[in-house]
Amino acid sequence: MIVGKIIQSNAHNDYVCQVYQRDEVENPPAREDYAFGRFVRIRLDDDRALVGLVYDTRLFNPEFGRLGPRLSPQEDLQVFAPDYLREKATLIGIAAVGSIESDGTIRQGMPELAADTDALVERMPDEDIRAFHLEGEALRLAYAPGLLASESPHVLPLILNVLARLAVLLPEQAAMLALLEDDVQWKAAVAPLGGER
Amino acid sequence: MNAERPIGLTKGPGETQHEFTFVSPDREDVLKVGEFVLHRAEIDGQERQVLSRVTARAPLRLYPDGFLAAPEIDPNDVAAVFGYGGTSHERFELTAAVIGYYDERLGDFINPRIPPRAGRPLYLAPDDLLSAVLSKATAGEQGAAHIGSLLSRERGRVPLALDLRAVTSTHMAIIANTGAGKSYLAAVLLEELMKPNNRAAVLIVDPHGEYGTLAEMMGHEAFVEADYSPDVRVFRPGDVKVRTAGLTIGDLSYLLPNLSERMEYLLRRAHRDVTRDSLQEKGKPDRWTVAELQIRLRQLGEGGDSEDEAPDDRYAGTADALIWRLESVIKGAAIFDDFEHLDLAELFRPGRCSVLQLDEVDSRQQQIMVATLLRRAFRARTQTEKGAVGEGDELYLPYPVFILIEEAHHFAPAAADVVSTQVLKQVLSEGRKFGLAVGLISQRPGRLDPDALSQCNTQFLLRIVNPIDQARVAESVETVGRELLRELPALTKGQVIVAGEAVNTPVLCRVRSRHTPHGAESPDAPALWHRWFSGSGKRRKGARPAGRYDDEEKLYK
Repeated sequence: MIVGKIIQSNAHNDYVCQVYQRDEVENPPAREDYAFGRFVRIRLDDDRALVGLVYDTRLFNPEFGRLGPRLSPQEDLQVFAPDYLREKATLIGIAAVGSIESDGTIRQGMPELAADTDALVERMPDEDIRAFHLEGEALRLAYAPGLLASESPHVLPLILNVLARLAVLLPEQAAMLALLEDDVQWKAAVAPLGGER
Repeated sequence: MNAERPIGLTKGPGETQHEFTFVSPDREDVLKVGEFVLHRAEIDGQERQVLSRVTARAPLRLYPDGFLAAPEIDPNDVAAVFGYGGTSHERFELTAAVIGYYDERLGDFINPRIPPRAGRPLYLAPDDLLSAVLSKATAGEQGAAHIGSLLSRERGRVPLALDLRAVTSTHMAIIANTGAGKSYLAAVLLEELMKPNNRAAVLIVDPHGEYGTLAEMMGHEAFVEADYSPDVRVFRPGDVKVRTAGLTIGDLSYLLPNLSERMEYLLRRAHRDVTRDSLQEKGKPDRWTVAELQIRLRQLGEGGDSEDEAPDDRYAGTADALIWRLESVIKGAAIFDDFEHLDLAELFRPGRCSVLQLDEVDSRQQQIMVATLLRRAFRARTQTEKGAVGEGDELYLPYPVFILIEEAHHFAPAAADVVSTQVLKQVLSEGRKFGLAVGLISQRPGRLDPDALSQCNTQFLLRIVNPIDQARVAESVETVGRELLRELPALTKGQVIVAGEAVNTPVLCRVRSRHTPHGAESPDAPALWHRWFSGSGKRRKGARPAGRYDDEEKLYK
């Protein structure tokens, strides 16, 4: 499922994607496809992609702030200036947390390559998420320390979201995931209130 | 607890080079302070199990104070409100001190001098491994004293057996507050010494008459074997005599305190003369009598037998005073006798435990008695070992002996000059060579001579609360690390730190139950007061004494 396209980046691994709207594509994405914590692929070319994680959502509305009366009624605008209507957009922040090479090799962490403007963003299937987090039979979350280092208030809920998703997809890793989840939960829920370590 | 399942993972370095920290959830609460853990390390090409002792434990995750403000609300529930759903959030940081791996060839621990790397698994040391490596002996075998079991494990799971060879050659000390169980532990040790596998020659100096119940060892099934049954002799003050002629001039001066210089001079001369005469006339220097000493003093007082001075009576008053004091102190005391003194072979014999009860003896006389006894035993052992005496001689003592001294601070005090101190220190420093060992028991190590305490190479430390006593123990007992010494005030009755020569490493031990009844229980004063009221002819409860004011009415309701 195509979610949208890259319209800009804030950093090498921090992209902004504009979500396709109803009248832009035949099958616009559902809200669940670009929800917080979803894994997405950002296409680099036909067989390579960045793996991204949705960490933020922003609504873009250029009309906000224009509080004066319009000369043209809304119905006329649909006929004479339809672009105006499409200036409202849903933007999602995507953290690039790894890459998938043309030979299928998976790399976690800061990606080497950058995506282009207008690169397509699609929801990552469960099978790919599973494959992205396994090295042999071992669980890998090598991108998590990089996310935690950002000290963004979104990071702990984001990682908790990922861990919960992985617990469903990788039941054989339950013990390890529970350990990590417990640690992150303590950091997210108790430590901010004064709990120690 | 599965010994193959790791109990924790190493975290980092501790305060010293031999300490490290590790983290464990310890859900079964097994990692007590004093517990032993092991890690595997390759040392010189061989995989070794390196033992470490847990010395401190602290929780890592602490709830905010606000979560703990309402005692009736579980802080886990408060955390759940905020989204923390963990069920086993507890984890602990533990500090451990590396003891080393046990080298069978050396029979001792070798410290690898390298702490485990971070993240290495740690295992709870298995019971059988601990039994084998902590004790220097195996319970029941010759030379072993089974005194109890490892405190951090269930009672009896890891039995601890001391090496009696070390205890009875390099001396020992039992140090504890009153009521911490030192007499009980001493009795357990005595029981072990008297068991068929050991058959020791032991004497215990018992100033409070607490060890009489040891007599029940005789005929007790735990102590009897086909060819052996222990013999326990309780000597009351009247049974044991100190021959006055065995008293040195130092002993006499001590018994007659505050002598003037003139008195000291006269006594020294008289003592020298009677000793010399005894040697000339009776063949031995220690055959004079108090009467002879008194006669000699009178002669010296009258100046009639002066060697280098013209006859005069200027010492008459001094001599009279000395004669009177000798009459009062020595002749009036039941423990001194001109001719008798207890045969050493009677006091010390393999398979015999002699209990020397001194509870009715004046403290100075107790000190003289102990000093004389130690002096004689030391002389006997040195003479026997050197071949200077043979069978039939009263100083012939052809086996090692062990003397346990209760209230040792009374016989070797720190800040006072006591007649027994010197000989006790001599035995402590030289007795090893001649098979004469001493065990000191004291409730006030702060008052015990530090040299004497430091010569005791096996230490049993029970609860000690007084900071001065703790400091003295820390200063004199080098084998116990400061982390174990910190445990001293927290020990409860029957818990003891055993350290020194008799064990491979200091251990926290739970003393086993005695086979014989304990004789040193404190009296139950309230019960005894009540018993007094229940006696016939005594004041009944409710009877109001005359002349009391009305407010007391309620006290008698």
